[in-house]
Amino acid sequence: MIELTLQLLSFIAAGLLVVIGLGGMLFLDNLIKKIIAFTLLSDGVNLALVSLGYVEGGIVPILEPGSSYLNFPNEAALIFGPGIVLTNIVIGVSTTAILIALTMVLYRRYGTLKASKVLKGERK
Amino acid sequence: MTETVTNLWSIPLLLIIPILTAIVVNFLYGKVKAIRVVAILSSLALFAIAVISPYGYHWFTGQPAVLLNGGYTYSVQIFAWRLSLELYFGYMQQIMIAVMSLLLIFVVAISTKVMSKNMGTYIGLIFLIYMSSAAIIMVNDFYHLWIAVEIGSLLVAGLVAASGESISQKAALKYTFFSAISGAGLAIALALILGITGYPNVSDAIVSMHINNIQGMQGILYVAFGFLVLSWIYAGGLAPIHPLKSDVYGASFPHATVMLQTQSKLMLVAIGLIILRVFGTLPFAKEVMLGISVITMMVGVVMALLQTDFRWTLAYLIISHSGLVTVGISLGTISGIIGGMFQAINDVLYMSILLLCCEAIYYYGKGTSIKSVSGMAKKAPWLAFAAVVGAFAASGIPPFNGFQSEIILIQASLASGLPEVAVVILMVSVTTFIALFKSIYCIFLKADSTPETEQAQSRQGSIPVPKVLYLSLGVLIVLVVLIGVYPQLATDFLNDAAIKVVSMPWVP
Amino acid sequence: MIDAFMVISYVMVVGITVGAVAALLQKDLLRAAFITGAESVALAFLFHALLAPDLGLTQAIVGTVLLPGIIIIAIFKTRRHEEE
Repeated sequence: MIELTLQLLSFIAAGLLVVIGLGGMLFLDNLIKKIIAFTLLSDGVNLALVSLGYVEGGIVPILEPGSSYLNFPNEAALIFGPGIVLTNIVIGVSTTAILIALTMVLYRRYGTLKASKVLKGERK
Repeated sequence: MTETVTNLWSIPLLLIIPILTAIVVNFLYGKVKAIRVVAILSSLALFAIAVISPYGYHWFTGQPAVLLNGGYTYSVQIFAWRLSLELYFGYMQQIMIAVMSLLLIFVVAISTKVMSKNMGTYIGLIFLIYMSSAAIIMVNDFYHLWIAVEIGSLLVAGLVAASGESISQKAALKYTFFSAISGAGLAIALALILGITGYPNVSDAIVSMHINNIQGMQGILYVAFGFLVLSWIYAGGLAPIHPLKSDVYGASFPHATVMLQTQSKLMLVAIGLIILRVFGTLPFAKEVMLGISVITMMVGVVMALLQTDFRWTLAYLIISHSGLVTVGISLGTISGIIGGMFQAINDVLYMSILLLCCEAIYYYGKGTSIKSVSGMAKKAPWLAFAAVVGAFAASGIPPFNGFQSEIILIQASLASGLPEVAVVILMVSVTTFIALFKSIYCIFLKADSTPETEQAQSRQGSIPVPKVLYLSLGVLIVLVVLIGVYPQLATDFLNDAAIKVVSMPWVP
Repeated sequence: MIDAFMVISYVMVVGITVGAVAALLQKDLLRAAFITGAESVALAFLFHALLAPDLGLTQAIVGTVLLPGIIIIAIFKTRRHEEE
């Protein structure tokens, strides 16, 4: 029987978030919902990266004054995942801001938020 | 052999000066002369640094490297763990950054004379695109690779949307949606490689993969390879998503397209070389890359033949020639990689000539569609000469530089036992000639058939062509002819990098 | 050993998935933005449980204030209900 640890459940949730976000971005018609789906995709990737470094019963990887650091590498959780995720969160906010700005400009021009009408290719 | 290796002074300058210039220029909005002075001085400084800089590394931790059998050293020997994030400036980086700095000088000089509104933000975006391309050609670890790709994607969206037409904003929106998917994939690939090998540095990851036993992990390596190829396709606009990238090239101002296509060619070379170094020994890896490149080449020229607007013809030709660059890299042999990188440099030069001619045609007030413009050779004979030189160079005709790189690619594909690829390269070359001369004949050489009154009216709607545009066309034509006659000027810089990828993949 | 912290963590994992599906099925876009904010709170708690407290703080601020904020600005400037 597979043991349902927190790490395994987090991986499953991250995978589901990635699939839901990707499907939403490709198949939904409203532009705002595509942007919300992009937020979910980015959340799923962040959750996957953070749960890679989890150690069962470990301590937070911050050296507190007064604690010994001889056993620190054995007990602490890995820190490289959260390092990547901090950058990923900033990139997510910037990309969402650009997408929202372009959506507002295109709504003013076309009057609708349906992606099939707005993103139709023009005859060149 | 254990001399102290310090960080190179020029690598941080190449990345900090564009950012500082972008910030300063953004604050100076409204004062046109001040923006022009600051921007041109900064781009001249970048060109000077790229030319006179020595070669070396920049480590982000500053600790000594660890030898394989214990012990520490500051010198960069081959068999040592780097244990840091690092940037490397070598022969190949020098010539590519020098060419890009030259184009930056021209683009900045032209756009400060032409763009009237939002000039500060626009010039800032151009400098930031320079910074992200310079970073990505110098990286030697996956973390910086991912950051540079993400920054580049945001900047492309900004630069395309600055054109103001609705087709540019649609192109920017579609391209940014796809960049979200590829960025997430690249982050997952970074995590997977970190998990398998334990090191973010590319050299360390390769040594670790060869030392440790990773028998059961081929599947995970294929997944990481797939995500890296996805971001390679996204960065260069290769086969399945070429409509997104060709919309980006065609819907922005031509002088902005010069910087955009330089960025994508450099990204293709950099990501392609890293994929070859890490995954080159996986079965079917090079075949997948070769298939994508050949399809891109063919689809690009076929779409270019069907266009009736000079700007969109150039957009599809840039996609097709990106396929040529990636064919060279996917072949995996030394001459193939040299051919691919040389083709990238030549491509950037002659496409810039054609794009600047397109920009000049716009100033005559009637657009660039071949239905509405004709007989330009009487009004602007030097422009016609430049366009013809650019078209000959793009088609690979002998005294120009396109011929030198295409002959290396054809010989490399014949030597690898793939004569079909050589035949496709020749057909792409011929079809490029046809597509370009269709537009050039209609725009320049056909007699003007509009009545006299319309010609007089249209002359009122035009703005004067800036002299610096003719100066840049002249310098680029001289470079195109010079590299065409003496290809050693460029290939001498590229031998080093190609040999290191094939024979010692753990050295940058 | 069953303690309250682990139970709440498991509940948050389920809540994230349910919230994600619910946010994309709404017809009212303003409610979708609010459900995204609630799901980010659950994600911030999960980051704390996975031994990354700095990420928990960042996600709590960004995911509840910044991202739903700019989505709500967009909704006010365009339209509130999804078209048929």
